[in-house]
Amino acid sequence: MGFGLVNIPVKLYSAVEDSTLDLDMLDKKDHSHIKFIRVNEKTGKEVKWENIVKGYDLNGKYVILTDEDFQKASPEKTKHIEILQFVEQAEVDSMYYESPYYLAPEKTGAKAYALLRDALEKSGKAGVGTYVLRNKENIGLIKVSGDALVLNKMRFGEEIRSTEELKLPDANPKATELKMAMALIDQLTEKFDMSKYHDTYSDELMKLIKAKAKGKVITPTPLKVVHSKSKDLMSQLKASLEGGKKKAS
Amino acid sequence: MSCCNLMFNKNHFMENTVTVDKHTLEFTNLDKIYWPKEKYTKGDVILYYEKIAPYILPYLKNRPLSLLRHPNGIEQPAFFHKDAGDNAPQWMTKFEIFSESANKDINYIVCNNKATLLYVANLGSIEINPWNSTIKKPDNPDYIVIDIDPSDGNTFDQVVETALAVKEVLDKAGIDGYCKTSGASGLHIYIPFGGKYNYDQARDFAHVIASLTVELLPDFTTLERSLSKRGKNNIYVDFLQNRRGQTLACAYSMRPKPGATVSTPLEWKEVKKGLTPAQFDFKNIFKRVEKKGDLFAPVLAKGIDLKKALKNLGV
Repeated sequence: MGFGLVNIPVKLYSAVEDSTLDLDMLDKKDHSHIKFIRVNEKTGKEVKWENIVKGYDLNGKYVILTDEDFQKASPEKTKHIEILQFVEQAEVDSMYYESPYYLAPEKTGAKAYALLRDALEKSGKAGVGTYVLRNKENIGLIKVSGDALVLNKMRFGEEIRSTEELKLPDANPKATELKMAMALIDQLTEKFDMSKYHDTYSDELMKLIKAKAKGKVITPTPLKVVHSKSKDLMSQLKASLEGGKKKAS
Repeated sequence: MSCCNLMFNKNHFMENTVTVDKHTLEFTNLDKIYWPKEKYTKGDVILYYEKIAPYILPYLKNRPLSLLRHPNGIEQPAFFHKDAGDNAPQWMTKFEIFSESANKDINYIVCNNKATLLYVANLGSIEINPWNSTIKKPDNPDYIVIDIDPSDGNTFDQVVETALAVKEVLDKAGIDGYCKTSGASGLHIYIPFGGKYNYDQARDFAHVIASLTVELLPDFTTLERSLSKRGKNNIYVDFLQNRRGQTLACAYSMRPKPGATVSTPLEWKEVKKGLTPAQFDFKNIFKRVEKKGDLFAPVLAKGIDLKKALKNLGV
């Protein structure tokens, strides 16, 4: 990443991971995996990937886009985060914040990285930069989080919807009511500690899964009782040998 | 052949242009150090392949190659090279096929003679990586491979234990498997398929074998491919090398590893505690093959009966 003549080689790492449990969709009867196929809405017949195109509905008519069209509109993949300016962090509305990425310096950039990080921390400012990721041009905020510099992807202004359509009341509460509300808020004010909050739903679900599994009988000699997943695979394989004789050799 | 022997006296490379079986080859940078510690050179690699040619060529015949080139030795970056390119000699066998992952045609080098083997070695290919299928039947692999791939926290004794677990599964299925050192940190087990089945069936059967193996040793083996999810103490029982286009270092291939180890076929009785891949390198392999012959020959022979094997496994 860089600004002006300064260039700091960095690597990007996702700073977040999903806390939800990974569940698979299965047929109630035999627990086989559910497969998704794409079908033509009119005929109900399956359509293969190579016969599927992307279209944009422009005033009721579809404009079909090809790979060349996408390429033409694609920005140049420069692998560079260009910092355009610095801002006071408080000025940036949190509505714009999207996914955070950790920036780690390459060996040669370690000193410059540390310098930028410490300077940003001391000044309380953040950098605003543009970068290209997955064929899209993005805007991001470069700020400090602990020892790391974080690239926080930001939404574009046009992505934030206006509140026009929401029925929101005007301001002007009574002075005494406002005073009471503020006293209540004050009472419940504590220091912010995120570690107090967990994904309890996933935790509860996991407890349930483990308890259910315990109910099953575990056989001591594994080769005698074949695991159901291996058995499924073997049955499929056997079927392919019997049915698709033309496929083999 | 006799003119080659003269030229291939390591300390007296009189000329770099050599005729090998009627083809002219030009060797370059023969003195370049490829193993900085042991001081083995590029010339050593070429000499090795010249000598081992009769043993290694059967495993390369009619198979497209994926070259892994180490032009500056084992401690410097290497790169994959698949397309023969415009500089490849006319006399070399090549095979053009469309690659989905690269979205274009690739013209692969096919190593059907010693001259091609040495040409490839001269490009800095320390290891040789052929396809599992041949150009005659590109969609049907001649064998499947179970690749026992340890993590940093595993011992080689655990790798041996895993190989023996695979053998147990194969015994139950009533089929034969052949073991070799990968030449790096793991072991390979090859099961002859004889080109009778396609890649999907091959991969699925390998999946079954790997799955049953992991059930035997759940404490330190896994089917988890992702490095971040695997953990430092789990051996990855890899069945995914059984897809078209995937390659593995073949039998008798050198590896770009300390000691210049070689991927060496083993007898099952040798697969026991105490075995280490470091035992087999490019110097001592010759005495070994003289004594034991080519232990891997059955891999290229008759394939198993997949239906029968599945029946024995209970399906």
